[in-house]
Amino acid sequence: MTLATGFRRTGRAVLTVLALLCLLAIAVLVREVVKELKFLSSASSDNVHWTLSQAEVEFLEFRNAVNWARTAPETPLSSVIVEFDVFYSRTSTLANGSLYSSLREDPAFDAPLTEVRDRLNAMIPLIDGPRDELRANLDDLAAQADEMRVLVRKIATTGLQHFALESDELRTSVAVTLLRLAVLTGLLLLALAALLMHARRTAQQTEKRGKELAIAYARLNTILNTSLDAVVVTDTTGRIQNFNPAAERIFDCRLKDVRGKRVGDIIVPEHLRDAHEAGMARFAADGEHRVIGQGRVKLEAMRSNGETFPVELAIETAHAGDEQLMVAFLRDISHRLAAENELVQARDKALAGEQAKAEFLAMMTHEIRTPLNGILGNLSLMEDTKLSSDQSRYMRNMKISGELLMRHVDAVLDVARFESGADKAQEDVTHLGHLFQDIVDSQTSAAHAHGNALQWGWVGTPEEWVEVDSSRLQQILLNLVGNAIKFTREGRISIEAEVIEQGEPAKIEIRVSDTGSGIAEGDLARIFEDFQTVSHQVSDSVGGTGLGLGIVRRFVQAMDGVIGVESTLGEGSTFWLRIPVLPVERPVEDSGAGPESEAPSDLEILLVEDNDINMQLAYEVLVGMGHHVTEARNGQEAVDITAKRPFDLILMDIRMPVMDGLTATKMIREGDGPNWNAPIVAFSANVLPEAKDRFAAAGMSDFLGKPLQRTELAQIIVRFCAGRDRRVKLDGATPLLVEQKESPMEKLRNRYMSETSSLFEWLAGLPEDTHAIADRAHQIAGSAAAFGQPGVREALLLVEQAAEAGDREDLVVAISEAQAAWKAAPEPSLVG
Amino acid sequence: MYTLTERFTRVAALLLLLLGATSVAAGELEGPTGPVLLTISGDIENTNGDGTAAFDLDMLRALGATDVTTETIWTPGTITFTGVELKTLLDHVGATGSEIDATAINDYTVVIPVSDAVEEGPIVAYEMDGKLMSRRDKGPLWLIYPYSSNAEYRTEVIYSRSIWQLDRMAIR
Repeated sequence: MTLATGFRRTGRAVLTVLALLCLLAIAVLVREVVKELKFLSSASSDNVHWTLSQAEVEFLEFRNAVNWARTAPETPLSSVIVEFDVFYSRTSTLANGSLYSSLREDPAFDAPLTEVRDRLNAMIPLIDGPRDELRANLDDLAAQADEMRVLVRKIATTGLQHFALESDELRTSVAVTLLRLAVLTGLLLLALAALLMHARRTAQQTEKRGKELAIAYARLNTILNTSLDAVVVTDTTGRIQNFNPAAERIFDCRLKDVRGKRVGDIIVPEHLRDAHEAGMARFAADGEHRVIGQGRVKLEAMRSNGETFPVELAIETAHAGDEQLMVAFLRDISHRLAAENELVQARDKALAGEQAKAEFLAMMTHEIRTPLNGILGNLSLMEDTKLSSDQSRYMRNMKISGELLMRHVDAVLDVARFESGADKAQEDVTHLGHLFQDIVDSQTSAAHAHGNALQWGWVGTPEEWVEVDSSRLQQILLNLVGNAIKFTREGRISIEAEVIEQGEPAKIEIRVSDTGSGIAEGDLARIFEDFQTVSHQVSDSVGGTGLGLGIVRRFVQAMDGVIGVESTLGEGSTFWLRIPVLPVERPVEDSGAGPESEAPSDLEILLVEDNDINMQLAYEVLVGMGHHVTEARNGQEAVDITAKRPFDLILMDIRMPVMDGLTATKMIREGDGPNWNAPIVAFSANVLPEAKDRFAAAGMSDFLGKPLQRTELAQIIVRFCAGRDRRVKLDGATPLLVEQKESPMEKLRNRYMSETSSLFEWLAGLPEDTHAIADRAHQIAGSAAAFGQPGVREALLLVEQAAEAGDREDLVVAISEAQAAWKAAPEPSLVG
Repeated sequence: MYTLTERFTRVAALLLLLLGATSVAAGELEGPTGPVLLTISGDIENTNGDGTAAFDLDMLRALGATDVTTETIWTPGTITFTGVELKTLLDHVGATGSEIDATAINDYTVVIPVSDAVEEGPIVAYEMDGKLMSRRDKGPLWLIYPYSSNAEYRTEVIYSRSIWQLDRMAIR
C-alpha cells in the first residue's frame, strides 16, 4: 500500500465516522424535536391562559350573582349557588389538575389559591344551607368576595406569568434544538458532500483504472494474438484455459475445440505423455517442477493430425487471483532445426574442404617434394656422367625447372607451415651487421646481373649484437632484396638500418629501397596479400607464386613487427619494417666445436624407406658419415630385421607399402626384440605439427624432415647416439674399416670443387668463346645448388646470361661477382 | 331492481320504525321525571316537547352506561368515568346536523363536530369513580374523551372540547 492510498483510506474512514456521528446526533435531535413537537401537539396544555383568566371571570360571575341577589331580595338564590359551584369547580381544577402541578410549586400561586379554596370551603355550609340563612348572609358573602378578588387576580396573573415564562423556555429550547439540528444537518451535508466528492473521485479513479486495465488487457491480447510463439495457458491440472492464434496455427486446432481439455491429450505426443503426466502429478503433489521456470527446453510436440515436431518450450506459473495458472510458450523450431542441420552440413563440408586442403598440402609435401628431391638429386648425380652437349643442355633446363618448382613448392609449404603454427619463432644472438653483409654478399651478383648496385649501412648509432629470429629476418630481407633486384634495372638498391627506439627491447627500422619501376598506387594495398602478383613490363620474365610478400608479412607480424611500403611509379620503392630486438652483449666466442666434430661414427643404422632414390641418397649420406647402413623396404621388413639384431638408430619413413612406419614403430616398441627402446626417428616429408604429434604418439623419438639435411641428421645422431661409436668393436668383430678410397659423395664433391676451381681459373683469363663460357658456367651453376652454394649458382647463371648475350662488359662484371661468390661460399656439401 | 339484501334492509328498517312507534311515540321521547340535566335542541328528530329533548339522570342511564378509565389534565390520578356515549345520545335524539354547540351552566360554549361522536369515543359522564358528580366537582355532566387510550385525544382542541358542567347541546 502506498502512502497516498493510506491517506485516502484514512480520510475516507474519518469522513465516514464523521457522517455517522452526525447521523447519530441528528437522530438524537430529531427525537428531541419530535418529542417537543409531540409535547406541543399533544401536550397536556389545554389553553392554560384561558383557563386562568376563566377562573377570574367565573369569580366575577359569582360576585355579580351575590351583589345582584343583595339588590333584588325577591330573586331566587340559585344563580349564586350555581356560580359558586362553577367557581369552586374551577379552583378544584387549579388545585388538583396535573397541568398546574408545576405552577403550584410557586408559592406566589399556591398561597392565594389555598386561601381562596379555604374561604370557599368555609362558605359551603352557608351555600348548602337554608336559603333564608344564605340570603341573610349575602352582605357577608359580598364582603368576603371583595376580599377574595385580590387573591383571584393574583392567582391569574402569577399563573399567566409562569406559563408565559414556560412558553418562552420551551420556545428557546426548541429554537436551540432546531439550531443544533440545523448545524448538525449542515455538518452532515458537508460530510456527505465530502463523501460524495470522494466517491466521485474514487469512481473516476476506478473508471480510469478500468480504462487502463482495458487498455492493458487489449494490449496483452494483441501481444498474445500477434505473438509468433504459441502461448498455451492451463490450470494446474493441465486443462487448457487459453490458446492464442499462433497456438491454433501451430497445433492446427481451435480454442473453442480445446478449451477445458487436458493439454496432454492435445499437444503432447504419445511417447512423451507418460512423462508429461508424471510431471503434472509431481507438480500437483509437492510443487516440484523440472521444466517450469527452467527457461527454454527442447521437446517434441504434436499437431492435431498426430504429426510430431520439435519445439522450444518455456513454462512459467502465474497467479490470477487465487487460481494458479501455467503459461507455456512454445516455438515451432522444425524450420530452425532444419536450417541448423543445413548449416552443420555446410560447415562439415567446409571443414571437409579444409581437410582436403590440408591433405593436399601434405600431399605437396610428401608426394611432390619426395620425387622432386629424387629428380634433383639424380640430376646432380647425372651431371657427373658423360653427357653430350645436347644432353647437358636438356639436363640444365631440367635442373632449372626443377629448382624453380622446388622453390614454388617451398613457398607454398612455408605458408602452410606458418599458418599451421609449425614454424615457431626462434630467437638467437645475432650480429646484425654480419647478417646484412651476408645478404648483400649473396645477392650482389644477382644485383649486378641487372646492373644494380647493392649496399647496406647503418643510419645513426648501430646496434650490432641483438637477440632476434635471425633466420626469419634473413628470409625477409632476402625476399625484399630479391624483389628489389627483380624490378630494378641499372639502379641502386640499398638496405638501411636505424635504431628508432632505444630500450629493451629496442626497435629498429630496416628499409630496403630501390630505384626501380615502383608500384602503382592501386596495387600498394594488396601486395602483402597471398597469391598477388603485379604485372610489370620490366619483369615479364619474373614469375612467382605471389606468396613472397605474403610470407614476409606473416614473418614480420610473427616477430611483433610492422611492415609497409612507399612507392612512386617509375621512381622506385621503399619497403620498411620495424621490429623489436633485444640488444645483448657481444657473446664469448664459442670454442667452435660443431656437432659434426662430435658426431659419433661407425653406428649401426637401419634405414627404412620404400623410395629407391631417397633410399640411395640417404644411404650415401650416412655411409659418407662413416656409418653402417642396413636397408629395409617397408615396415614389415623393419620389424623382422629389428627382431634379430640391435641398431643404434632407426630412420623410419612413414608412408610405405605393406606396413607403414607408425605401425612398425609400435610393433618394435611393443615387441621384446633388442630394439624396443632404440631411437626411432621419423623420416618424412610431412612436416606439419599434427603429423609430428602423431609420430610421437606412435612412439617415435624424433623427426627428420625430407629432403635429408646433413646438419639435421648429424644433430639427430649426436642427440641419440653420442658415445656409441664403438659398437663394432664391442661386438668383437674386426673393425670393418670404411674403404679408404673416397665415397661416391666425396668423389662428387671433390669433382665439383676441382671443376669449379678450374672454371674460375679459366674465366679469370677472360676466354673469347662466350658459348663455352655459357656452357661451363651453366654446368657448374647446376652443381653449385646441389652442393649448398646457391650464391655461386646465381652468380654463374648471370655469367651464363651475360655470355649468351655477348655483352663483354657485363660478362666481366658477372665473372668478378661470381669469383667473389665462390670465395664467400660455404664448404660445398651435397644437399638432400 | 333491488337486490335481495337491499330489499331485506328496507323491510327491516320499516319494521324497526313500526316497533319504535309502539314503544316510544314516533319522534316523541318520554318526558323527564326527575330534574333535567341535559337539554338537546336544534336539528333533532326525536323530542319530548317544545322541539327539544330533555334528559334526567334516569333517561341517561336508560341509554346504557359506558366506562372510560383515563387520566385527565384537570384531575389527579386515574379515574373511571361512567356515562352514555355521545354517539348513542345523538342517535337517540336522531341528530341530523354536523356540529354541536355544547354549553355549560355558566354559558361557556364549545363547538364539537358530530364526527367526534364515534364508538369508543367521548361519553357524557355522570359518574366519577362510581359517584355522581356534583356541580362543584365539574358535574353533573362532563364530556370525557378516552385521553389515555388514544393519543389523538391528547390535543389542546380535544381538551377544549372536554366541557364540564354541561347542560345544553344544540345540533346544527
